[in-house]
Amino acid sequence: MRHVGLGNYTYLAGDPAFLKSLWNTVYYAVGAFLFILPLALVLALLINSTLIRIKSLFRIGYFLPILTSTVAATIMFLLIFNNEFGLINQGLASLGIPALKWLDEELVKISVLAVVTWRYTGINVLYFLTGLQSIPPELYEAAQVDGAGTWAQFRYITLPQLRPIALFVGVVTMIGSFQLFAEPMLLANGGPNDASLTIANYLYRIGFTNAKLGYGSAIGWVLALIIFGLSFIQLYLFGAFRKED
Amino acid sequence: MDATLTRRAQRTIAYGFLFFILISMATPFVWMISNTFKEQSEIFQLQPTLIPEEPHLRNYISLFVDFDFARHFLNSAFIAVVHTASHLFLASLAGFAFAKYNFPLKNLLFLVLLGSMMVPLYTIFIPLFVLVIRLGLVNSYAGVILPGVAGAFGIFFMKQSMEAVPGELLDSARIDGASEFRIYWQIALPLVRPALAVLAVLAFMNSWNDFVWPLVVLRSQELQTLPVVMAGMVNMYRMEYGVVMAASLLSTMPILLLFLALQKQFLAGLTVGAVKS
Repeated sequence: MRHVGLGNYTYLAGDPAFLKSLWNTVYYAVGAFLFILPLALVLALLINSTLIRIKSLFRIGYFLPILTSTVAATIMFLLIFNNEFGLINQGLASLGIPALKWLDEELVKISVLAVVTWRYTGINVLYFLTGLQSIPPELYEAAQVDGAGTWAQFRYITLPQLRPIALFVGVVTMIGSFQLFAEPMLLANGGPNDASLTIANYLYRIGFTNAKLGYGSAIGWVLALIIFGLSFIQLYLFGAFRKED
Repeated sequence: MDATLTRRAQRTIAYGFLFFILISMATPFVWMISNTFKEQSEIFQLQPTLIPEEPHLRNYISLFVDFDFARHFLNSAFIAVVHTASHLFLASLAGFAFAKYNFPLKNLLFLVLLGSMMVPLYTIFIPLFVLVIRLGLVNSYAGVILPGVAGAFGIFFMKQSMEAVPGELLDSARIDGASEFRIYWQIALPLVRPALAVLAVLAFMNSWNDFVWPLVVLRSQELQTLPVVMAGMVNMYRMEYGVVMAASLLSTMPILLLFLALQKQFLAGLTVGAVKS
């Protein structure tokens, strides 16, 4: 064994493949926040509203994708994204739109995000639903007495009351996004040209494919620091450290 | 009159959107099921068919004959059952202790436990693997199972549920001379059944679907678990889509059945867990 001090870490800062995997992972995390969370919130609001009667069909239906193994789900999507006979391109063809190469460098991250959205929207719907159901109905009744409209009720009761569950969902989504591994690996093996590579994929490549355990562990600790840092920022922004008024 | 009309329109739009998303989510499943009964040429054909033109079971037969599916299914099942059983037993035992006893360093130990939940899997991945090598457990079921034999999340979750067990019940059993283990086993455990159902589904799902850890620890093909074998089928030079889809479908069945069996308790218990954490 040889001590390298902080050598692994300084090397990491100038490693183009690591920086690319870092950028890709941030892309996935931002994508998850932009697609999954708003979609899950809208679905939860609709299911929770008085408009909808058959609630459990949607609750259970949306949850089912997460039960399939990542491997099985990704294999399924491999076929759906296929250039020639994939379901999406065939659908586009029937609308007269030329086929897109879903697993090429330009689109592969979008495709990974689509699989992730398919898999993880349902569990977030469940989380938001628990949050919505724990809002005391008296708040809405009082607001209606005061003449507040639907939008005002949503803006001044629902959103603020959802704060704790939104924080939980946000932190869990962020942690999950930064540990993304199987989807990009199976859809495109981290490629093409590292376009879909995540930090976890790169750690696996360095640590196990190239057997550089020390360098791989350094990547693991950088990942941990990023996750701690972002969790702290989220907690801070949501006022988790603020004293109760 | 006008109000009821807009309400009806709103309801139509709401149902329309919910069903649109539900159908989008179900389409991959339906297509997967349909493809397991098709020839490769029909899967590749430019007009996709929902109902196979000449349905057959050759993909399923090939799965069992050419890919030794039964063996890998049993490998996964063995690992998942041991994982789930040990998880339920150890997490409920530790959760009971944290909730119902006072002992030295209790708070410190609990903090360490919570802290370990925050360290990402990939940070300890390589050290854990080195540990498994040093213990001589590479390429064994023990190497796959032992690192996850108990989990911080499970202990935390069970502690929260055990808190709700009334202390008087335990005390009256003590007066009757029951041993501490018997109190845990015969009084506390039956009361936290919904929480056990949640943990059972989560633990089974995690182990059954785990891909990276068995991929790293297991070397010989005949010991390998389903997800790794299925991933290997993808990397093959010529991929039999129908066979791979059949494997994906069959591999989803155990979890689906477990979830549907425990669904009521699972959704209720998950709610409690989410709010408390």
